[in-house]
Amino acid sequence: MSAASALRLLWVGVALTNAPASPGAAPTPVRRADTAPAVARNDTITAVPGIRVGHHTLTERPTGCTVVVADGGATAGVAQSGAAPGTRETDRLVPSNTDTRVNAIVLAGGSAFGLDAAVGATRWLDGRGAGEGRVPIVPAAVLIDLWVGGKPHVRPSADCGYRAASNATSGPAAQGTVGAGAGATVGKLLGREHAMKGGIGSASIVLASGLRVGAIVAVNALGDVIDPHSGALVAGARAADGSLADARRLLRSGAATVLSSLPAENTTIAVVATNATLSATDANRIARMADAGYARTIVPVHTIADGDTVFALATGRWHGASDVSAIGALAADAVAAAVVRAVREATTAGGVPAARDLPQ
Amino acid sequence: MKRTALSIAGVASLSIVLTAQPSPRATFGLTAVDGIRVGHHTLAERPTGCTVILVDGDAVGGVSQRGGAPGTRETDLLNPLNMVDKVNAVVLSGGSAFGLDAASGAVRWLEEHNIGWPAGPAKVPIVPAAILFDLGVGGNAKVRPTADCGYKAAEAASAGAVTEGTVGAGAGATVGKLGGAARSTKSGLGTASISLPNGLVVAAIVAVNAVGDIIDPANGKVVAGVRNPDGTFADARKILRAGGTMQRPRSGENTTIGLVATNAKLSKALATRMALMADDGYARAISPSHTSGDGDTIFSLATGRWDGNADITTIGALAAEAMADAVVRAATQATGAAGIPAARDLKK
Repeated sequence: MSAASALRLLWVGVALTNAPASPGAAPTPVRRADTAPAVARNDTITAVPGIRVGHHTLTERPTGCTVVVADGGATAGVAQSGAAPGTRETDRLVPSNTDTRVNAIVLAGGSAFGLDAAVGATRWLDGRGAGEGRVPIVPAAVLIDLWVGGKPHVRPSADCGYRAASNATSGPAAQGTVGAGAGATVGKLLGREHAMKGGIGSASIVLASGLRVGAIVAVNALGDVIDPHSGALVAGARAADGSLADARRLLRSGAATVLSSLPAENTTIAVVATNATLSATDANRIARMADAGYARTIVPVHTIADGDTVFALATGRWHGASDVSAIGALAADAVAAAVVRAVREATTAGGVPAARDLPQ
Repeated sequence: MKRTALSIAGVASLSIVLTAQPSPRATFGLTAVDGIRVGHHTLAERPTGCTVILVDGDAVGGVSQRGGAPGTRETDLLNPLNMVDKVNAVVLSGGSAFGLDAASGAVRWLEEHNIGWPAGPAKVPIVPAAILFDLGVGGNAKVRPTADCGYKAAEAASAGAVTEGTVGAGAGATVGKLGGAARSTKSGLGTASISLPNGLVVAAIVAVNAVGDIIDPANGKVVAGVRNPDGTFADARKILRAGGTMQRPRSGENTTIGLVATNAKLSKALATRMALMADDGYARAISPSHTSGDGDTIFSLATGRWDGNADITTIGALAAEAMADAVVRAATQATGAAGIPAARDLKK
């Protein structure tokens, strides 16, 4: 018996002893919460071994950047579905191009200027992450937050990326108004003055088999954020009385039909990571399936004014058997959970109110 | 002058087509879009068939192809970089790749009616198509939609209310195959539309044959999916989160194919964006969606019969809403077939 299969048996044993006795019922979730003692449980993307996250948030204006470091590199993919993207190194991730292990992904505010943050992360990784004499591969995506906080010339620079990379830890990722999500907002269907605060959210799913899937997202959508478990609004465009207007109702009633004047001030960007061993093709499928997490939580999404992008990382540290579709489905779930958390964890900034600060 | 003569000829051929099918236009569903007609043909030997979406004249078209196991034709033509920007019909069919034959029948019907892209000596009908995999449903896998099916569906097309459920391309469609085909639920074909006070109409039609379960996005509840022995639904989301045995999706039994249409005027690139945004309707109403065993594809058509002003974000967002509605209706309107019960046959 190999060590891997022995470990798998052990996990199965844990799963069985913890499963509640309900014969005939559907398989019952066995999550880390059921098996671990009540010490601080890391339910963010850093629950995936080898993945570290660092933020750097600027003080002059709510904006910043977030670096997701893959220690030892990871196979990567991308799904770029929004119409107004700002990215780098995405061509590198096309499966027909040279198979490369990615060292880090950078998410940043500051619109296209924020791509500079990836330069700083690359500088930090040089000689560290990629190994001596190897070029660090650092794909990146940006979101547009220049209007938040009044000083559009304040943007994440290479320095931001360098600091975020040097801050990266394997502890639970900080969420809310931080890093790439510091200047993020949602619910802009009625204009920015009706917007609410977005931010950074992260979530992970840990299966008894040892498979782990995590997500981190900076939510800066034109649309509202919905909890897919109930269909209830979590944050979004506010009506004149401060209540949530509900983008779905606005759109279906024809109350919001002239959006062409909307400036491009949106975009939701994310990284999903798994410890599974995947090909570049499979990593791209994971990214694409994870994109469904956006669709389930953000309405509308993938608009002409959103540059929605999802990166996928597969560290290959777990060699168990799992299907790409199962991993992709969990990645979509993790993204959805992370999006909802991003707005629940956000705090008011730049005069834009957060969900937690609205009168109930 | 030449152009005027041509357009008069176009109107003349159009009027012949219209007088042949004098049904009043539907107020709900895909045919609520001015310029769109829908016809089904369902085979008698096995639950399978095809559905033809006919354009009166032509419409600007687009496509979003995001599932991992597609079966399509003429999707490269729909790339905004490529020249032809008009579509005469779209065919959705059962029968796996064999079912692409149905498009040939629709092409023949269109040529007989002098409809197509002017290409020198002939008008070439532009007919993109996508198929779903239903060969394992109802026994005889040799029974598949042929060109004859596409021809008959085109001949049957009308502007009246679209028949939903176990019909046309949805006749052999099933959902909830995470626990294998034996625990699946019968699905079918659904349609829905949203009409705004300003005259904008956005509508969807879909044949739902997914690996995943069907979810009502309004409340997060399972509408149809993997069945438990007691007739309740197991919930694919719970199965996956528990690390339950997900049977590797088999490319012989899945794929959701659909189409969204609007009466707005759109460029080819914006029609493509509309299709891509409509894909969010799949993500909201199907879980999991876009798996390696699903060939999920959505076409879009913009008939341009409405002169009003609407933004692509509104049109795309409504296309996603209409598509999610249509997916749910495909599950609720389906009737049991080939021993596979539909949601309406199961106790709540």
